[in-house]
Amino acid sequence: MSTSLVIDTSTNRTVVGVVTDGKLIWSGHRDGATAHGPSLPLLAEEAITEHNIDQVIVGMGPGPFTGLRVGIAFAHTFARARNIEVIGICSLDAIAAQINEKDFIIATDARRKEWYWARYTDGIRVGEPEVSFPTYVEKIATTVHFGLFPDLIAMTDLAKQRPITEPMYLRRPDAVATADRP
Amino acid sequence: MSQPIVLGIETSCDETAIGIVQGRTLLANVIASSVEEHARFGGVVPEIASRAHLEAMMPSIENALIDSKLSLSDIDAVAVTAGPGLVGALLVGVASASGLALGLGKPLYGVNHLAAHVSVDFLTHDQPLDPTIALLVSGGHSSLLQVDDITQTITKLGATMDDAAGEAFDKIARVMQLGFPGGPAIDSLAKSGNATAINFPRGLTTSQDWETRPFDFSFSGLKTAVARYLESTPGYAKADVAASFQESVVDVLMLKAIAACKESGINSLVIAGGVAANSRLRAVATERCERAGIRLRIPSPALCTDNGAMVAALGSLMVAAGRSPSPTAFDADSGLPVTTVAL
Repeated sequence: MSTSLVIDTSTNRTVVGVVTDGKLIWSGHRDGATAHGPSLPLLAEEAITEHNIDQVIVGMGPGPFTGLRVGIAFAHTFARARNIEVIGICSLDAIAAQINEKDFIIATDARRKEWYWARYTDGIRVGEPEVSFPTYVEKIATTVHFGLFPDLIAMTDLAKQRPITEPMYLRRPDAVATADRP
Repeated sequence: MSQPIVLGIETSCDETAIGIVQGRTLLANVIASSVEEHARFGGVVPEIASRAHLEAMMPSIENALIDSKLSLSDIDAVAVTAGPGLVGALLVGVASASGLALGLGKPLYGVNHLAAHVSVDFLTHDQPLDPTIALLVSGGHSSLLQVDDITQTITKLGATMDDAAGEAFDKIARVMQLGFPGGPAIDSLAKSGNATAINFPRGLTTSQDWETRPFDFSFSGLKTAVARYLESTPGYAKADVAASFQESVVDVLMLKAIAACKESGINSLVIAGGVAANSRLRAVATERCERAGIRLRIPSPALCTDNGAMVAALGSLMVAAGRSPSPTAFDADSGLPVTTVAL
C-alpha cells in the first residue's frame, strides 16, 4: 500500500491531494496566480495531518515559472526530510487524463497572451509540450480544452508511466547579453 | 543541554546558500553561485537566478549535511530569507524551507536578509552584538541601521536614495570594462592607483545634507562624474580612476557611519554585506573607528557576501531569545523593510 502526497502549482490554482492505492482520500486547492507560496504549505500541512505519506508526486509544468518552482522546491525538500521518493510528471498529461476523446489539445495560460499546450491522441501525448499564441493552437486543433486543472489520481498513474526529472519551462529567461544590446 | 541546531537557507539574489549553525558555532556554509551565468548580461538576471536556485537547492543541502556531519533529523529549526530580494528567487528558498520544516515537523523562521547580514557577526565575535550601529553595504542595499535588539528592534537611520554602493561598483566596472561583479575588480585595480588623483564628489555631504538627510547615501552623482571623467580624459589611468572612485564611496560610507555612532551614543559599529569585503573599506573603517573610540566589527570576507550561515545565525538568535516561529504560510516579500526582523 502506498500513500502519495500529490502537488501541482503549474496553473493559477495550487492543488494538493493525498492518494492511497488509486483512491483520492484528501484534496484541497487554493486559487491565485501569485499565491502558490503561502497556499502550498497551508494545504500540505492539512493534507499530511492524518496521513502517513510515503511518496511525493509533483507537476513539473509547463507553467508560469515562479509558481511552478514553488511546488517543485517544496516537493523535493519535503520528500528529503521524510526520506521518501519524489517523482515529477508533466502537468498537461495530468489534465489530459480527464478527457475521453479521440484527438484533442490541452492548453493552459502561459501569460503574455500565449498558451502552454500539447496534443493528445487516444489519451497519449503526441510530441512535447509547446508554448504558442492561441490563434496558432486553434488552427491545428479539433478540440481545445483550456483552463482545466490536473487530475490528482492521474498524477499517481503518470508517476509510474511517464516520470520526468526536469521542470518544463519551455521559454528561455528574458535577457539580452551586454554585447548584443543595440 | 546542547544548543539547538539551525539550518539557514538564503536565495535572495544569485547565491543558493545553506548554512548550519549550532548556538554560535558554524558547522557548514555551502554557497552555489550562478554569478558566471549572469556575467555576460552585466548584472543578475532574475529568471536565470531562480532556475539556478532550484537546480542547486538539493545538492547544496546535501553538501551542508556532509560538511556538518549531521543528518536532517538533527536539525532543530529551519530559517530562511523571506526578503528583501528578487521575489522569484526568494520564493525558491521559502518553498524549500517550508517543505523541509513541514517534512521534519520543526519550526520555521522567515527572516530579514539585512538583519541576517548584521547577525552573522555573532558567529565570529563573542561580545554581545547589540546595541550597535550597522552599516549594511551590498549590491542591492546600502543602509545605516540602529540595532537595539537583533531579534526584534532595528531602526533604519538612512539608506541610499539611488544606487546601492555595490551597484555603483558594478556600474563603474562595466563602463571601465573590468567585468562583473565589479567590487573585487575595482578593489584589486585600486591597489596600484592613487586614491587622491581625481577628486570625485562625495554624495549627500553638503552642510544642508547633514541637516536634512545625514544618514542617507547617493551614488548616482558619483557614477555620472566618473563616466564624464572617462569620456573627457583620453588615455586615463585606470588604476587612479578605480582608486579615486573607491575612495569617494568608502569616505562617504565611513563619514556617515561614524556620525551615526556619535549621534546615537552607541560606540559600536558592525559593517556587513558584500561591500564589507572591500579591502579599502576595511582599512579606513579600522583606522577611523580606532580614532573615534568605536568598537568595530566586520565579519570575515566569506561571511560578508550573501551566505546561508547568516540566515542560520539569525535563526539561532531567534531560537535563543525565545521568539515565536513564523506562521505555516508566509509569502516572500521583495520589499521587506529592515524594521521587520522576522515574519
